[in-house]
Amino acid sequence: MEKRSLWKFGTREVVYAAIGAALYAVLSIATNFLQLPSAGNVSFRPAVAIPLFFGIAFGPIVGFIAGFLGNMISDLISGYGFWVWWDIGNGLMGLVAGLMAFSFTSFKARSTLLKAELYVILGVLVGMAVASISEMWVSGADIQTVIYGNFLPSAIANLVNGLILVPILMIAYDAVVSRSGR
Amino acid sequence: MESFDPRARWIFSLLFLFTATLFWDARFLAVLFVLAFLWYFSANVPWSETRRAWSFVGFLLLIMIVVNTILTGGGAGGVVPEGGHQVWPNGIPIPFTDWVFHFGLTYERLWFALCQILRILGISAVFVIIPFSMDPRLYGVTFRGLGFPDKFAYSMELAFRYVPTIARDFGVTIDAQRARGYEVESSGGIFKQLLRTAPLIVPVTMNSILTGEDVANAMDLRCFGQGPRTWLTKLQYHWRDYVLIAFSILMWVTALVIVYWFDVGNFWVPQWLLNLAGG
Repeated sequence: MEKRSLWKFGTREVVYAAIGAALYAVLSIATNFLQLPSAGNVSFRPAVAIPLFFGIAFGPIVGFIAGFLGNMISDLISGYGFWVWWDIGNGLMGLVAGLMAFSFTSFKARSTLLKAELYVILGVLVGMAVASISEMWVSGADIQTVIYGNFLPSAIANLVNGLILVPILMIAYDAVVSRSGR
Repeated sequence: MESFDPRARWIFSLLFLFTATLFWDARFLAVLFVLAFLWYFSANVPWSETRRAWSFVGFLLLIMIVVNTILTGGGAGGVVPEGGHQVWPNGIPIPFTDWVFHFGLTYERLWFALCQILRILGISAVFVIIPFSMDPRLYGVTFRGLGFPDKFAYSMELAFRYVPTIARDFGVTIDAQRARGYEVESSGGIFKQLLRTAPLIVPVTMNSILTGEDVANAMDLRCFGQGPRTWLTKLQYHWRDYVLIAFSILMWVTALVIVYWFDVGNFWVPQWLLNLAGG
């Protein structure tokens, strides 16, 4: 695999960021049929694996835009309005996960998958912490509300989705990469 | 509202957010609340369209108020001072028993709940209305006009264009998987249901990535990113946009002066409420 700059934002990155955002938005809405128990204003979205995976595969900027824009478009289509601090939190999930991009040679190697799981955990924790803490500034919520009402439900739901689906996507992408020789 | 330039509308919305988050004084929040809803109603969007968004806001508010005001007693984010005037100073006697339930709810926290309602509803009114009143095709050019890089703005525009394509691909994939015996119905535990989404998510994602490679090559061949981008839609400020921007800046600067120069606008409880509380 070619060595690429982590912060490069060329034509491929523009296109993959857009595709990641559109995928995140469409899959978030499309998997609404899943009626899983989760807390209050936090929805259970398997599609959260998309910005995490796009970050790992194409870099932190792509991961950020996929999460930020994808969440924005998804809320927009679902009729939830515009919540910039949660969009930024979703973007940060992809950005932090993307910090491991281009540092490995095989997507399906056990070490890469383990590293990806670690970055998924870091990404989700950072992203959801920033989004949740912003509720203190915007809504005046106290730290207990932020932790139990926002952070824990969103982080747990996203961790479950990310930890299970990101490795599946990475293994599938490895097959695509080796077949196409990219 | 639609007659304003989208850039002016974004500037107003963001400066309104910064202004509202400076205050915990219900008098200032009430003024901002009225301003927010004047702005909201100027869009003439019917209730049926925004009902879902407001249900979401209502649920958020309920959680905030119930957890913040009713359940937790530690003061809200350091805004409400410790102590205060209790609503039930002698506790709540439980009928048919000798027990007394001591509940630390104070008038100050109830007033804070009102401030939260004014602030959250005001901010929500300004932001909820954006997607219902702004053409999604203008997002890219608007963000470029607000100073975002060309490539970020183009990503945004491209993402909106991809949504119908990916939605169609998802429909085709779900039909193809159904033909192979895939069941959409949700049953079983969390992990089982989550794993059941993989046969939908993986093919759609991989197919989109392969398509993206061709799109990127086509864009490279057309020298994408080699020079400043031009946009099909041109945005132009008119006098009313300048008025809106000037008003937004004035509102924010005035709020900064009020809060940081005059030290007014922090949490405040009216005297009549304290009198009612016996203090």
